[in-house]
Amino acid sequence: MEYSSEEAARALATIDASRSAMRQIVRAHRGHCYLWLWGVIWAAMALLAEFKGHAGLRLGNWLAVAGMAGSFLIGFMQSAQLRAPLDRRFLGLIAVIVGFAAIWPFILQGPADAKAGFAYVALVSMLCYIVAGIWFDYYLLWLGLAVSALILVGLFCFKDFFWWWIAIFGGGSLAGTGFYVRYGWREIS
Amino acid sequence: MPELDTIIHQPARLQIMAALTQLAPREQADFSFMKAKLGLTDGNLGAHLLTLEESGYIAVEKTFVARRPKTFVSATAAGRKAFAAHAAALQAILKSP
Repeated sequence: MEYSSEEAARALATIDASRSAMRQIVRAHRGHCYLWLWGVIWAAMALLAEFKGHAGLRLGNWLAVAGMAGSFLIGFMQSAQLRAPLDRRFLGLIAVIVGFAAIWPFILQGPADAKAGFAYVALVSMLCYIVAGIWFDYYLLWLGLAVSALILVGLFCFKDFFWWWIAIFGGGSLAGTGFYVRYGWREIS
Repeated sequence: MPELDTIIHQPARLQIMAALTQLAPREQADFSFMKAKLGLTDGNLGAHLLTLEESGYIAVEKTFVARRPKTFVSATAAGRKAFAAHAAALQAILKSP
């Protein structure tokens, strides 16, 4: 089959236009909504704890529940256009991690205080990000490692400012990564 | 010179493959969504998807979401490879004297 360079150029232009249109759509589906949602929730939970004490921590738990409902809703709405089939092995792994992590504080009667408790739950969440990063997309691995390190630095080096630290560096890192995911482009192989 | 893939080269199928290969390997696109984005009719898109599926370039999954039938399509590994080779062949034509 013989093709002229004009025909080839037209075909390549079609490819570029189609790719570009799909990339815009894919960018709107790649996890940034979850990261923005949880970035805001982390910041709000930390600031509630800073300004309202134990009442704020209790309210923060409800915010986390609202976040889970919000995440489910985002997933449901986005899957109408693009979706990735549920990976049962991954879900099973996350359930094991969360279940395992939930048992130890009761058995070992820890963590020592509210800040350490928040750090523990946040570190378990970041472990889930790390696992998801290894499983699906590496940016989650780096995000999980970076935020884990920031949580530990905040807890051990800046405990007096821990809630502000979490709001800025925890919530901020999640929301900031959301912008990177939304407006950058990465091939996922 | 690399060979052009006659199945992929048809303009509508070229658009379909260009779009689907932008998805991550596990991701699938909804049929109605593809139809709207590519500006094709039901029958037209269905016929082209069938041709691509028979060639092993895409996978089609029919399922139910909220009791409604839905069709999701994704590019296969063979489809991604064939599309990359086709795009490379087009580039080669463009660069040839």
